[in-house]
Amino acid sequence: MQRDLGSLPLAPALRARLVGAGFSTAQELLEVGPCELSKEIGISNEEALETLQVIRQECDSDAARMGGDPTSLRTCTALELLEQEQAQGFVVTFCSVLDDILGGGVQLTKITEICGAPGVGKTQLCMQLAVDVQIPECFGGLAGEAVYIDTEGSFMVERVADIATACVQHCQLIAEAHQEEDHHKALETFSLESILSHIYYFRCHDYTELLAQIYLLPDFLSEHSKVRLVAVDGIAFPFRHDFEDLSLRTRLLNGLAQQLISIANDHKLAVILTNQMTTRIGQSQSTLVPALGESWGHAATIRLILHWDNNQRLATLYKSPSQKESTVPYCITPHGFRDVQPPPPSQTPEGSEMNPRKRPRIEEDKQ
Amino acid sequence: MESREYRFGNMASKKLRRAGLAQELCERLSRHQINTCHDFLCVSFLELMKVTGQSYQNVQKLLCKVSRACAPKMQTAYDLKMKRAVNPFSAFLSTTLDSLDKTLHGGVACGSLTEVTGPPGCGKTQFCIMMSVLATLPTSLGGLDGAVIYIDTESAFSAERLVQIAEHRLPNYFVTEEKLVSMTRSIHLYRELTCESVLKRIESLEEEIISKKVKLVIIDSVASVVRKEFDTKLQGNLTERSNFLAREASMLKYLAEEFSIPVILTNQITTWLSNGLAIQADLVSPADDLSLSEVSGAPGSRKMESGCMIAALGNTWSHSVNTRLILQYHDLQTRQILVAKSPVAPFSAFLYTIEKSGLVLQDGKDQQDPTWEGTNPALQALRVRNNALKEDLLDNALPSSTGKDPI
Repeated sequence: MQRDLGSLPLAPALRARLVGAGFSTAQELLEVGPCELSKEIGISNEEALETLQVIRQECDSDAARMGGDPTSLRTCTALELLEQEQAQGFVVTFCSVLDDILGGGVQLTKITEICGAPGVGKTQLCMQLAVDVQIPECFGGLAGEAVYIDTEGSFMVERVADIATACVQHCQLIAEAHQEEDHHKALETFSLESILSHIYYFRCHDYTELLAQIYLLPDFLSEHSKVRLVAVDGIAFPFRHDFEDLSLRTRLLNGLAQQLISIANDHKLAVILTNQMTTRIGQSQSTLVPALGESWGHAATIRLILHWDNNQRLATLYKSPSQKESTVPYCITPHGFRDVQPPPPSQTPEGSEMNPRKRPRIEEDKQ
Repeated sequence: MESREYRFGNMASKKLRRAGLAQELCERLSRHQINTCHDFLCVSFLELMKVTGQSYQNVQKLLCKVSRACAPKMQTAYDLKMKRAVNPFSAFLSTTLDSLDKTLHGGVACGSLTEVTGPPGCGKTQFCIMMSVLATLPTSLGGLDGAVIYIDTESAFSAERLVQIAEHRLPNYFVTEEKLVSMTRSIHLYRELTCESVLKRIESLEEEIISKKVKLVIIDSVASVVRKEFDTKLQGNLTERSNFLAREASMLKYLAEEFSIPVILTNQITTWLSNGLAIQADLVSPADDLSLSEVSGAPGSRKMESGCMIAALGNTWSHSVNTRLILQYHDLQTRQILVAKSPVAPFSAFLYTIEKSGLVLQDGKDQQDPTWEGTNPALQALRVRNNALKEDLLDNALPSSTGKDPI
């Protein structure tokens, strides 16, 4: 920045004028805007702008050689972004209607929040996604790895094993139907053991451990560059009790959200967070709302709310920049997260939720 | 910032000196009340730069250093599976109720919280006493070969019943007086009657578990002390109660996971009005009906507002427990156990009766109703004794359905 004018690639006449006006270093020049410069040395606005750009470029490339960070200005055009978005992959949930309303599945480079009542399937969905992100590319997956940060202790490895086995079988069926070479090759490395080995599990017992883990995550991700999914199962739990200082909580949560957004972007992965529901006592009503307050609602780009309607589990896309708000039913089978099977046509035409006796039995063998 | 919470065995309260920070730096930080990893990570970045007088890059490095000192260790899911596989018997504690065990992938899961809730007289304490016996059995018989800590808040534990269940359930094992004595000696009973004392007791458990080789912790019941001391109709009490319960759950989870043992908690029930408000229900009186005109003081309630019975302690507590088993009445003789929330099992129902040997499943009878799906486990409606009575055709004196019924 302290470069002498003499070392910059400027026309001699221009240089003479600059020296005459009292400028001696690049730094001094960059402090001046193009209009001011043009007035001082008597050149046109465009020439002044060009001069400054040349100097700025020179200084930036200096910084790059010295190991600075030239990409600190992250700009691109909407066209570039569109190309990126279209080429981007999704992590499928295996519930096709849910994937549809999400626009293909859980998006990379975004934070998706999953809120829901207890027992509705948030952890099940996280476990399903941690398996699905690993599906080989020839089957339509991302061949990625997963980081699973657990604050509630709900991760049960037996269940993940069930889900993973079902996923492998699903892929095997596809391979048999299509008989392509790369399918069989991929299946050699896509097995229960490999799936489990590529889920990196961290158990955080309180918010300090969670904060620490998120600080260390970028380094971990640089070492494990194939990770395409970070799941934080239970962002609410560590923050919900014993917080007398709510402003501290807000600050910490905001910081966490910022870090996760930059992690999602820098490493091109999907971040999913699960949140609890809390009771809001109104005048004569009490309703369940997502926990952690109103301001947390801004943290996630995409918000999915899982809830019950009598006996049916429903997923509502509550907030999304690109998809419409809608609700779909889903169910949880021994094999994981799945669509609801439509009732066979011989039964009542309207699938009535009020009459559970007409609800079809869930397919596939129960253990 | 209160450091009381962090006393309980975790890395957050690690002193910064032990995190590898230079002595001089630690002294400077302590002048600003920043002593532990927790304090360090809660301060804003700018504040840290100011206090340490270091550059942006250096503060980043310090943050990483401190984080490394208290972040959890990474394990792959495969590592977790191998750990469980090494000792397959110690991943679950079998309940010896075969169909229930099968659904739950083995029984009551180790390393997590299992809640048993239901109306009075359904068998919660019976279940706890039965599990106590089973935990002391050698692993070859499906037990955990260890001691049991039983925290009793309702003075419902009966040692005679314990012996009766042991003798009748495992007559081939408990043949000698000596075996019975040894079993009873392994069950450590603590009577706690206030929230404060329960919390203190839980805090002391870490050392007890190690010294007494405990393999099962039971709290019967979580609800009674909490409901005595927190009146949720009063302003602010609901939050305080939630805080207390969340703290309790957090400590118990730590113990469960650290020692890979099951923790069983019992809960009570409450009335849930259709407008969403829950009021503490008094179900001791047999004349109790669901006519809410008897319940006074419920804000906003109208007469004959429809309601139902659900598990007590609210929505946040429902999130905190990993597994929820609901015991309810089916008809005069039989009761039903519902798997309302489980990370490994779908919603299921099983019929049982209470006999000398404890709980006995009624296999073969209309076991599961496969078309019946569960709903939100926090709002799962329960059948209480009076529903069962009304729906039964018998209007004569009740035959005695079980042996002892101490609740």
